[in-house]
Amino acid sequence: MASFSADEKLWLERLHQPSAQALYLHLPFCARKCAYCDFSSWATKPEDPLMGDYVDALRRHLFEAEAVGLLSCCETIYVGGGTPSFVGTPLAQLVCHARAMAPHATEVSCEANPDSLTNDLLGRLRDAGCTRLSVGVQSLSDAELTELGRIHSAAQARARLSAAVKAGFDVSADLMCAIPLQTDESWRASLEGVIGCGVGHVSVYPLQIEDGTPLGERYGASEPAFNDPEVQAHRMELARDLLASAGFGRYEVASYAREGKDCRHNQAYWTARPYLGLGTGASSMLTREGYESLRKVCPQLPEPDVGARRVRLTCIDRRHELAAARSMADLHFDLEFLSEAQAAAEDLMLGMRLVYGVEPGLVDHARRVLAESEVDETLAWCEAQGLVARKGLRWVPTDRGWLLGNILYGRMWDLAD
Amino acid sequence: MKKDTSHIRNFSIVAHIDHGKSTISDRILELTHTVEERDLESQMLDSMDIERERGITIKSNAVRVAYDADDGKTYQFNLIDTPGHVDFTYEVSRSLAACEGAVLVVDATQGVEAQTVSNALLAMNADLDIVPAINKIDLPSAEPDRVREEIEEDLAIPADDAVCVSGKTGEGIHDLLESIVYLVSPPEGDAEAPLKALILDSYFDEYRGVVATVRVFDGAISKGTRLQMMATGDVFLCDGVGCKRPLETPLPELGVGEVGYVVTGLKDPALVHVGDTLTTPDNPCDEALPGYHEAKPMVFAGVFPVDNKEYENLRDALEKLKVNDPSLTWAPETSVALGFGFRVGFLGLLHMEVVKERLEREFALDLIATSPSVDYHVFTTAGEMLDIKSPQDLPRPEQIDRIEEPYLNAKVIVPPEYMGAVMQLAIEHRGITKDMVYLTEKSVEMHFDIPLAELILDFFDQLKSRTKGYASLDYEFSDYRPSDLVKLDILLAGEEVDALSFIVHKDKAYTLARGLCDKLKEIIPRQQFEVPIQGAIGNKIISRSTVRAVRKDVLAKCYGGDISRKRKLLEKQKEGKKRMKQIGTVDVPQEAFLAVLKVDDDA
Repeated sequence: MASFSADEKLWLERLHQPSAQALYLHLPFCARKCAYCDFSSWATKPEDPLMGDYVDALRRHLFEAEAVGLLSCCETIYVGGGTPSFVGTPLAQLVCHARAMAPHATEVSCEANPDSLTNDLLGRLRDAGCTRLSVGVQSLSDAELTELGRIHSAAQARARLSAAVKAGFDVSADLMCAIPLQTDESWRASLEGVIGCGVGHVSVYPLQIEDGTPLGERYGASEPAFNDPEVQAHRMELARDLLASAGFGRYEVASYAREGKDCRHNQAYWTARPYLGLGTGASSMLTREGYESLRKVCPQLPEPDVGARRVRLTCIDRRHELAAARSMADLHFDLEFLSEAQAAAEDLMLGMRLVYGVEPGLVDHARRVLAESEVDETLAWCEAQGLVARKGLRWVPTDRGWLLGNILYGRMWDLAD
Repeated sequence: MKKDTSHIRNFSIVAHIDHGKSTISDRILELTHTVEERDLESQMLDSMDIERERGITIKSNAVRVAYDADDGKTYQFNLIDTPGHVDFTYEVSRSLAACEGAVLVVDATQGVEAQTVSNALLAMNADLDIVPAINKIDLPSAEPDRVREEIEEDLAIPADDAVCVSGKTGEGIHDLLESIVYLVSPPEGDAEAPLKALILDSYFDEYRGVVATVRVFDGAISKGTRLQMMATGDVFLCDGVGCKRPLETPLPELGVGEVGYVVTGLKDPALVHVGDTLTTPDNPCDEALPGYHEAKPMVFAGVFPVDNKEYENLRDALEKLKVNDPSLTWAPETSVALGFGFRVGFLGLLHMEVVKERLEREFALDLIATSPSVDYHVFTTAGEMLDIKSPQDLPRPEQIDRIEEPYLNAKVIVPPEYMGAVMQLAIEHRGITKDMVYLTEKSVEMHFDIPLAELILDFFDQLKSRTKGYASLDYEFSDYRPSDLVKLDILLAGEEVDALSFIVHKDKAYTLARGLCDKLKEIIPRQQFEVPIQGAIGNKIISRSTVRAVRKDVLAKCYGGDISRKRKLLEKQKEGKKRMKQIGTVDVPQEAFLAVLKVDDDA
């Protein structure tokens, strides 16, 4: 009988964890759809009764998930959207309820937009147990914001970030680079502006022009200069340097934080920790054991494939259907079963998004369940290409690896074949 | 006893490209109720996808229609469609041998063009009765009287009775059918004599084996007849006969004078040769029908599977294609860059494109074609003559005494105002203008001697664009002449890529090398590292360009933990990459190997 290394044993615990370790709740409502957005969200009026019904449905689903033990080891909660802050009071009620269902969660985040993050809502969220706010700022230039179809001003964004910090939340600002009208100077100004508001966390995304969005229609095949890969790379590096000198360390390809302000929920996605996503378009990743628990409340789900170690599910019900779902038994999912080998390749791919990199337990595990020589050869190839480097017992992405992530991730996922 | 064949008319329709041959075929099918109007897909006879997409006929096809004539009798028309592009003259001649008549279609707005002349000559040489038809008379710019004059003057075909038709509206089609009854002779033949039938086309059917299209000259064929192919001697049992209307319709017998199909049941396409004569082994006919002129391939290109494991499949596919495209030839070729493949001979560039597309579509292969080359005669210092069809086979310069290349007699018919442009184009392509003849006031026929290698690059496209599409081109092989030729090599990231090498005239090497380096820079996507592209003659670098390294390639968005979506994006990216060929460390898209065809002259 082959014996496992101590590192791998720890890793294996994660692969068999029956409870979700992170909970994601999706609220697909917005005041207005932004010009670049291809996420699951719809613009509606603030008084739309569907929002209340939808939140009630999520509360019912939370009861069920809790009843089958899926939330017993849940450490983080994240409410995303859409624009959760736009939903208002029901959001606070949802957070309160989620905390009750997942009592061990110590990090509770909500996404918010400056225009709907009122002082009143800040108070309610504080009372409901929300600890962290991720604010969609995108830019601190009014002209750039207009181009993106945002409905708030730069001044409003500054004011709401400061108010959130003052109210005692851990605050993150989302910023976008390589957008129309942006210059290196305006990009620096946006970064410096949010840092000046006292946030402890910044996420930086290059704009991706997607089909089916207004920006996609406007610029589609034209490869506009503002979004050129060179510009993206340059702005990503600008952000890295500026944030580093301000005391923000990068911990993931797109995320920077002051000491201790990392988003643990975000990291669960990249470190094989199972998560449960509720709401329309929400994705879950469960171990085979977790999936069996879910099937107790979702008898519509099929038996897992023989050899499935991991299950990925995405809820495909539209928001009306979801709001009407009496129980999780009424929901519909896209699902995908991954074998132990596929899960290992996937974990290598995801680990390469983190500064921490791929930990020794995962390397040991991958070498055992995938072809050992191929794992070694692939890592050696990536090292030779300057995409990864060894750091102690870990493999970490290099600067080049950050920028050429798709090549690196692609090689890792290829190991599944 | 002589079986009555007086009700049979076998004919082809010949025309210059775009003069409307296929639409006239469609109208005939419609008027004879062979196909109901509602079922009529445009260009019924052009059944290959590629044909329909490009609006050209590549393969011949025989369809039987029943025509109730004004004399009260019902006639059996066998309509044998023929290709209309200069690359496919061979197929035209094959189809014509099965006919007694030909409908010569001339566009009422454009008049007689280069291929009208060459096709009319082919038909007259085959002793066919010619029915001239002037098409597109519905167009306001139609000049039927002028065209009638042209037919008489340029072709020496009496055109008083030329039928005016419109393939578009159907006007005049009835008169055309009546003319066919009266002008085209019925077939002659002896029903009692030993079987003599011509194979004019064939195709492979997964379930029934090779199906041959035949014309019976003497005797008859029915299911169960033992048949023998005279050239190969192979014997087989006929598995069924029938005709196309235009769907396959089984018949009890194919009688004397008739055209139809024969199911051979043979599983090996290589056993059936188009042009061969069918007879019965027990009572054979004295001699085979006169053979066709074997079409000689003029253009040679390497064809390689992107995935080397597909090599055997590629060979099978070529063999199957050869069944109904006997002009295809090939020999194994090995490339350092591309692995195992074949050097395939084609009639021309269009033929090459069509074959490549058919191989990819009909046999689900992913292929790379390399730059086309011609057949060079290389005389070595040792006094040998080598046939060189691939640049990589060229001996080292010090071993070469001289190289000779094939020249063509090219004939261009063009309105006089474009003569200057055509002469300029010919000069740029090393052509020598021989003479010019005014055919009419509005058309001049120009003759050139021009190297085939020049013609197969972009000559035809350039000719069309510089004459606003008015020029037409026809050519035939002339002779071999010595030329100052060199081999141009391309290096990617410092490595010579044999499949990109090219034989070119020394005077043009620099321009071409520069154009090619620039073109490759456009085609080759950015890689992880900078990729220098160099053009070289021998050890001398004569041009260079650089594909810059990719700086950023990452999807930072996380989609709320939707990893499946992320992975699918990665997989899609990988699919795109799979279609590229990895050469050394460089991923090269398939079209890079044909980049030489896309180099602008003026670049």
